[in-house]
Amino acid sequence: MKLVINGEEVKSKGGLSVSELLVEQEVKMPEMVSVEINGRILRRPEFDTTVLNEGDKVEFLYFMGGGSGAE
Amino acid sequence: MKPDTVAIHGGYACGDPSGATAVPIHQTVSYAYKTARELADVFEGRAPGYIYTRLANPTTTALELRLTLLENGIGGIAASSGMAAIASVVMALLKAGDEMIAAGGIFGGTVSLFENTLGRFGVKTHFVDVAETGRFAKAINDKTKLIFVETIGNPRMDVPDLPAVSKIARRANIPFIVDSTATTPFIVRPADLGADIVIHSTSKFINGHGTAIGGCMIDTGGYNWAKGAFVDIKQLSERVGRMAFLYHLKNVIYRDLGGCPAPMNSFLMLQGLETLPGRMEKHCANAAKLAAFLHEHKKVSWINYPALPESRFYDRVKKLYGGKGGGLLTLGLGDKAKAFRFIDSLKLAKNLANLGDAKTLVIHPASTIFAEFDEDARRQMGVSDDMVRVSVGLEDIEDIVKDFEQAIEKTF
Repeated sequence: MKLVINGEEVKSKGGLSVSELLVEQEVKMPEMVSVEINGRILRRPEFDTTVLNEGDKVEFLYFMGGGSGAE
Repeated sequence: MKPDTVAIHGGYACGDPSGATAVPIHQTVSYAYKTARELADVFEGRAPGYIYTRLANPTTTALELRLTLLENGIGGIAASSGMAAIASVVMALLKAGDEMIAAGGIFGGTVSLFENTLGRFGVKTHFVDVAETGRFAKAINDKTKLIFVETIGNPRMDVPDLPAVSKIARRANIPFIVDSTATTPFIVRPADLGADIVIHSTSKFINGHGTAIGGCMIDTGGYNWAKGAFVDIKQLSERVGRMAFLYHLKNVIYRDLGGCPAPMNSFLMLQGLETLPGRMEKHCANAAKLAAFLHEHKKVSWINYPALPESRFYDRVKKLYGGKGGGLLTLGLGDKAKAFRFIDSLKLAKNLANLGDAKTLVIHPASTIFAEFDEDARRQMGVSDDMVRVSVGLEDIEDIVKDFEQAIEKTF
């Protein structure tokens, strides 16, 4: 299945929850990432219950920063 | 996962290389990178990573994640104290000339921050009686930038109608900020009742043992920052969407004020969270029993506990908090001298400035946490000279009641 993650088309095995996608895509420091799907930000408990669909646009966002470039 | 499970496992899955079951305490100031490029990438936001514990720390991250899960938020930040959390949130949103509306009868430290400290910087706060929800709407003008309430006001025990106040804030397109220290996620999840930002003093019930000072702020995702009245957050939302407030908070105010928690304290809060569900049940049960005893006692002038049927907020507690009134109550003993005598006569309950401890605590608010306010101001805040505030602990209720009974006998 194809997804668009941070603007790039990527392959995913399909039927995964957001928590599983973070593992599949080897997202660094998943505890610090926020996830938006098709423009909707997920509340944290939804990571386990939200399943990805073909063509979903996924954005991974970090807000830990603190460096000057973060804003 | 259900909330009781999240309280124990949320935010940390024994992922430390050692397999440690307790969240490790990362007692470090900074984090080393092998190359200059790697650190530069983290600084510039191109790669995730820790930089400096004032900004983020792995132990604190686990706490932030657990609290965010429990509060049904989109993200959260822990702070060095509840006051640091409140100051960070309101200073991230307000500038000189702005106004806010706050519930009357809330914590004296918060009133002092809003009126005195922020007043000096040109921010005006209007305090309204939460009993009449319509007063929030009446107090709004074109300078109003936020509404702030406590789930159960300390010490007036006022309970705002959260969904109704949320609607008023939504209509005015301003964020609704809820301090849930007195309730915790195990009495109410304010996100589900329309709160946009949830704040806790984690030093209280979340820590539960009076061993560490801390606070936190959770964005519930309820407020649309892209359409809000906050210019810099609005601009930021074009890049990071709904995370804009947390980005702004973390990268500007929180970073600049330096109100970060000590890693050891974050660990103590995580420990506290593990047992919070059971403790909160017992705090509420013990407080309800003590309130019933004091209500029947002929020598007690008055008693204020929001889950007592006689309370003017009983219906709201029943509807919004499932009938749970929390672990705090206040009682009146006629005058200040009697209040002092009563406190001096208690053997089990400790006389100190804190709440939410496993131990039963008492304090005379008028001469301590509200001493900086004059008598008129105290009266408006619902703090009378004969008032004693009680944080009902987890001891056997029979021992608590016995202690109060003998202290009342000695008072009169």
